[in-house]
Amino acid sequence: MNGGLYREYILDHYAHPRNWGRLVEPDIVGDADNPSCGDQVRIEIGLDAARRVGQVAFEGEGCMISMAAASILTEHVKGKSLEELAALTEEDMLALMDAPVGLTRRRCALLSLQVLQSGIGAYLEEK
Amino acid sequence: MGNPTKDTALDVGRIRADFPILSREIRGKPLTFLDSAASSQKPLPVLEAMDRVYRWCYANVHRGIYCLSEEATCCYEDARDKVAAFINAGAREEIVFTRNTTESINLVAHTWGRANVKLGDRILVTELEHHSNIVPWQLLAEEKGAELVVLPVTDDGLLQLDRLDDLLDERVKLAAFTAMSNVTGTITPVRDVVRRAQDVGAVTLVDGAQSVPHLPMDVQELGCDFLAFSGHKMCGPTGIGVLYGRRDLLEEMPPFLGGGNMIRRVGWDRSSWNDLPWKFEAGTPAIVEGAGLGAAVDYLSGITMEAIAAHDRELVAYAMDRLSALPGLRIVGPPVDQRGGVIAFTFRDIHPHDLSYFLDQEGIAVRAGHHCAQPLHERLGLTATVRASFYLYNTPQDVDRLIEALEKAAQAFGEL
Repeated sequence: MNGGLYREYILDHYAHPRNWGRLVEPDIVGDADNPSCGDQVRIEIGLDAARRVGQVAFEGEGCMISMAAASILTEHVKGKSLEELAALTEEDMLALMDAPVGLTRRRCALLSLQVLQSGIGAYLEEK
Repeated sequence: MGNPTKDTALDVGRIRADFPILSREIRGKPLTFLDSAASSQKPLPVLEAMDRVYRWCYANVHRGIYCLSEEATCCYEDARDKVAAFINAGAREEIVFTRNTTESINLVAHTWGRANVKLGDRILVTELEHHSNIVPWQLLAEEKGAELVVLPVTDDGLLQLDRLDDLLDERVKLAAFTAMSNVTGTITPVRDVVRRAQDVGAVTLVDGAQSVPHLPMDVQELGCDFLAFSGHKMCGPTGIGVLYGRRDLLEEMPPFLGGGNMIRRVGWDRSSWNDLPWKFEAGTPAIVEGAGLGAAVDYLSGITMEAIAAHDRELVAYAMDRLSALPGLRIVGPPVDQRGGVIAFTFRDIHPHDLSYFLDQEGIAVRAGHHCAQPLHERLGLTATVRASFYLYNTPQDVDRLIEALEKAAQAFGEL
């Protein structure tokens, strides 16, 4: 595969997405799409007794970058507190990708972070 | 490899030499520019005409009683005459300069639309439309309590003309439709649709964003009431577009934006409007861009629109032939004889964003997404496509490079 963006790490997460699927009773659900390309991601989180991420799952449809990003993010969130996740920045997410995400693919890489944080926001608002 | 353009009058080698950007390399590969449906590249005569105005005769237009202003006004107003002749308008007063196609359509919606569309009326559009020929009418319909009705397309992206008469009745006040789709490339039978719409008393607006740069368009022959198009897709600069309107309609329409130049007299109790076309051109216009558009019209006219259309057709025929031979490649839209220089496609199950990123690594510029036509993509059961579009400077070698890169992508993505 040409180009530094589609490196082994990204392709592996695309081809073998981690945490794929749905939870039985999620505490937090985030779901959104990127209207410019139709990519869609749903992230579900189950909290443990300490209100940290105990279980996480995602489903979606989209390009390699958006799907790999979702897989990478779900790996990263495990065991984290909601405060830690709410504080994740776009730069943190791009750093997690460990690949040269240019301007043109930024939105693909950031979609799942937006999904996660909107889900957390809705959960905290309800509480 | 055959050379499908050898029989046309187009000397593509010479044309390419007029476009400095085409000699650029992208990531060490020659640029293969296949995105002219989004915006075309600019030839030297256009760049030089604009440069000349800024360097030699730039000043604000109209009303300046000095040499520079007079010369600048000539450059700007000459462009109007050129555009009028280019689409065979009956008079220069029928050519209003706007920013682009979108603004031209919005102008009609805001002025003619607000004055003429009422509760219970209908506005007819088609499933082929670009968002810019949908949303202004949705907003107008919502404001007036009118209804938007939509002429469907076939699975091949052709208008279902046998359904047109069912939708046309005296409630339809406006039929707004594209002359050429920016996704399927479908060329619509403008004259036929215009006549049938006018038979029930509807006013007709043709979206010429794709057709005017690529096909001969004669507004008197087509009989349409409005034609909207952009300078930047026809070798001209960004920031200038055109609304052609039938004179009697433009006369009756209230103004669009208020300000300088569009008035005859301003008083505290009321103001009166300037003559056509300036009634619709408030504020300092895109002077230099106007001169650039005039040069673009000269450039295209010198080559002739017939030759450009023939060149597009031959390239598309060649490209469709080669593309359809690739396993897993699905072309969206009608057969060659009913389309202009646009081919949207999907390839295996490679996401269009991944594919266009891959093609970019090979120096090939295509567009990926829904191309501002979400309802059409939904109708065709697609979320996104890759679109290659052709213009007078493209060659069969550009098509060959695209095919080679797609074969390479199939290998690269096939390993996953």
